Amino acid sequence: MSFQESHLTDQQLLQELDGEISEREKKQVQGHLNACWQCRTRQKDIEASISSFVESREQEFASALPPIAGPRALLKARIAQMRTESDKRSHRLSLFRRTIGAAAAVFIALAIGVLFISYARQQNILRQRAPVVSLPNSTITPGATVMMTQQQVCMQTNTKNKAVPFALQRRVFDEYGIKSATPQLYEVDYLVTPALGGADDIRNLWPQSYSAVWNAQVKDELEDRLRQLVCGGSLTLAEAQRDIAGDWIGAYKKYFRTDKPRPVSMAR
Amino acid sequence: MSVRALSVLPAVLTARREDRDKQTELENEVIALFEEFRTPLLRYSLSFGLAIEDAEEVIQEVFLSLFEHLQRDKPRHNLRSWLFRVAHNLGLKRRYRVRRELNTLDATAVENFDTDPAPNPEDQLVSRQIQQRIRTIVQALPEQDRRCISLRAEGLRYREIAEVLDMSLGAVSLSLTRSLARIERVTRR
Repeated sequence: MSFQESHLTDQQLLQELDGEISEREKKQVQGHLNACWQCRTRQKDIEASISSFVESREQEFASALPPIAGPRALLKARIAQMRTESDKRSHRLSLFRRTIGAAAAVFIALAIGVLFISYARQQNILRQRAPVVSLPNSTITPGATVMMTQQQVCMQTNTKNKAVPFALQRRVFDEYGIKSATPQLYEVDYLVTPALGGADDIRNLWPQSYSAVWNAQVKDELEDRLRQLVCGGSLTLAEAQRDIAGDWIGAYKKYFRTDKPRPVSMAR
Repeated sequence: MSVRALSVLPAVLTARREDRDKQTELENEVIALFEEFRTPLLRYSLSFGLAIEDAEEVIQEVFLSLFEHLQRDKPRHNLRSWLFRVAHNLGLKRRYRVRRELNTLDATAVENFDTDPAPNPEDQLVSRQIQQRIRTIVQALPEQDRRCISLRAEGLRYREIAEVLDMSLGAVSLSLTRSLARIERVTRR
């Protein structure tokens, strides 16, 4: 350390006394203090001022402060009062919250009810406007088949219909002039079912009303019956295809010997 | 429905009792802190010119606020700073309200005092005189300096003082140095 190094400031000396000197300065300040009698003396002076201040303060307050007992009792009483008030408030608040909660529940229930009724009404209107289709338009849907022999048809193990892609369903609805809002009222069905060699072709697809008496479920029964007959050898595949593509309701009546669709459980 | 309500009842009662226990615990904590800090806070409030009954009332408000503060599960780190800060703010408000005349000396009188010190014979009477002078000097300090040195005398660290008075650490350090230098001028023989 050079003896020419400048002395510490009063601020540094006080910070050092108070243990508030920054880590960065600490080493340098303490090193200087060890070396410099002047700065140590100056620091003692500062400490003396602190002592004088503390003494004067103690003397000032020694007699002036009233005992703590009175103020403490007062504080306890006030806290107790605050507690009863906050109890009351929280009780009122919970009552208020419950009332609000009940009102909100009633409101939500009403809103849902209103929405449901208006939805149902709208659906009803759509349903009334939507045409009921139980027979295909033979010019739009003549039916189409793939080249398959009876044997090939009967060897198919999975007779479940392939799902019709949404875009194709749209085209079918367009052809039949059904607005896009009502497709949920129809099943886009194969006229000649693939289980009887029907083709995956728009000419073989038509919209069948769910609400019709002669609906897709009834037609499914006919399809099952025809497949049994074809594979049992009592009906040719071509004949079955022609019957179902021509007038499936007539074919149903003919093969089930009935004028009305039979209950589903009976037919199966 | 009524059976269900009955089965819920014990839980509700337990919750209430737990809440009450918690409140009592908080109350005890607040009273313990009151016992520890009432005197330092009172001295601090008095040091910026509040009459003793006003200062006592301020301290009451401080601890009622503390009770609310703890009731709301607010942060409880460094409650000492918190107490002094609230005492500071409420003290200011109270002082503004009562508009009491501040118990400060005329600045020019202090100036004369400062530059022309009386002779200092070495006896106890004189030491008492010195203490009186120190008090006069402290009361004549700029208010922020007076608060700084009062808080330091109550044992607050620079960081806490800075927090209570909303000033920088450097400003706290400078203020204390300045005040002690003034005190030194009175005490130096």
